[in-house]
Amino acid sequence: MSEQFEPNIVAFLCNWCSYAGADLAGTSRVQYPANIKIIRVMCSGRVNPLFVVNALQQGADGVLISGCHPGDCHYMEGNFYARRRLKLLKELLEFIGVDPRRFNMSWVSASEGHKWKEVVEKAVEDARAAGPFDQFRRRQIGW
Amino acid sequence: MDLNKLRETAAGIVSRDDVKYLIGWRRGTFGYRAAPYFVEDAAGVEELIFSPLCISNLAAYLTLVEKLPVPRGQEPDQRKVALLVKGCDSRAVNQLLVEKGIKRDQLVVVGLPCPGMVDWKLLAEKYPETEAPVEISWKGDDFLLLYNGQEIVVPRAEALAEKCRLCRHPNPLISDVTVGEPVQPWAPAEDSGVAEVEAKSTPERWAYWEEQFSKCIRCYSCRNACPLCYCEDCILDRLDPTWVNRAVNFSENTAFHLARAFHLAGRCIECGECERVCPAGIPLGKLNRKLAHTVREEYGFEPGLDPEAEPFQASYKPEDPEEFIL
Repeated sequence: MSEQFEPNIVAFLCNWCSYAGADLAGTSRVQYPANIKIIRVMCSGRVNPLFVVNALQQGADGVLISGCHPGDCHYMEGNFYARRRLKLLKELLEFIGVDPRRFNMSWVSASEGHKWKEVVEKAVEDARAAGPFDQFRRRQIGW
Repeated sequence: MDLNKLRETAAGIVSRDDVKYLIGWRRGTFGYRAAPYFVEDAAGVEELIFSPLCISNLAAYLTLVEKLPVPRGQEPDQRKVALLVKGCDSRAVNQLLVEKGIKRDQLVVVGLPCPGMVDWKLLAEKYPETEAPVEISWKGDDFLLLYNGQEIVVPRAEALAEKCRLCRHPNPLISDVTVGEPVQPWAPAEDSGVAEVEAKSTPERWAYWEEQFSKCIRCYSCRNACPLCYCEDCILDRLDPTWVNRAVNFSENTAFHLARAFHLAGRCIECGECERVCPAGIPLGKLNRKLAHTVREEYGFEPGLDPEAEPFQASYKPEDPEEFIL
């Protein structure tokens, strides 16, 4: 049996909801795939679209961004801005031929440990179906 | 278009005490070229033209001017800048006002209703460029070309620039003075360029853009010619953190073009300057128009129509689409 492809997924989680939600999933011993590399940001509005581009350039097979539900943002409106911005980024990536399954966004609150598990499973499954993403990898410059 | 009326108006404006100069077009030195022209006194207006060759967007010069520090004891020059604008250029001015990139009271806008510009590259396929400048004017819907001493009528469909085929606002949306009669807006053509790419499958799209982005020589012309790329500290230039490396390879070129297109999302007024100046012939307009289309269709927003509007990416509505969110 050939080995299954294990995608490498970078997740940007907001400090106040999704990171706490992932923490809750951990403390509740919820089992979810270990393909996620979490980067904590203070708000999903902090996620510069270049973070996503850069993650893909550095070899991520997928990117997941998660923040508070609309209206629950710790900074009142950060996730509303993120929603607009990342929708455009998703459209743009899709337009240049990046598989849309590589880019996922979700709202996970601090009490949704089980939703976090589902989101991660979905993101991993999507990225696995999309396959390895090597075409965009940053070329190492040897001096 | 009555050139005398334009020159008269321009002379009136540049001779005002509170106007520094007027930015317009003049004939280029050869072929189908029109050059930007800074008129500083009333005598200079004789060279001013407005013809189907004046395709460049002069609004870029409003923010390109170097702001040198004022020597001690001297007052900064507070005089206004006058600018000739077509429909698309006026949207750039509006967008600059929205972003507070320029001040309205430092600007005199001369609006010129625009019946459509020619793409000289299309024209040159049939009538190669000559050493002497070529005269072109509008004749009804078509273009009248004075080429090697003979008058040739070029059908509109044959030479009209792509951005003008897609144009929705040929009349200036902001102006202090308007020269000429407003033109009847024409039905914008369907954006076949974007639709063509969208019709491809995901790997085909990647292959298409891989070919296009690999041509990029990273001259940054697209950024420099853009009237709305005016950050003094551009993220594409920044070394710490280096979001986009200087190396010219496919990965960095793609990151560069994604960043450039994204920074114009909800701001691009589709003047087509980036694509026009690109020496590698990358269809950058498709990226911009794709995003502009999304913003228009899904958010009902069109940049550059209203100088009082909220900037698109710095505002939100609670009911924005979120069907893509898990």
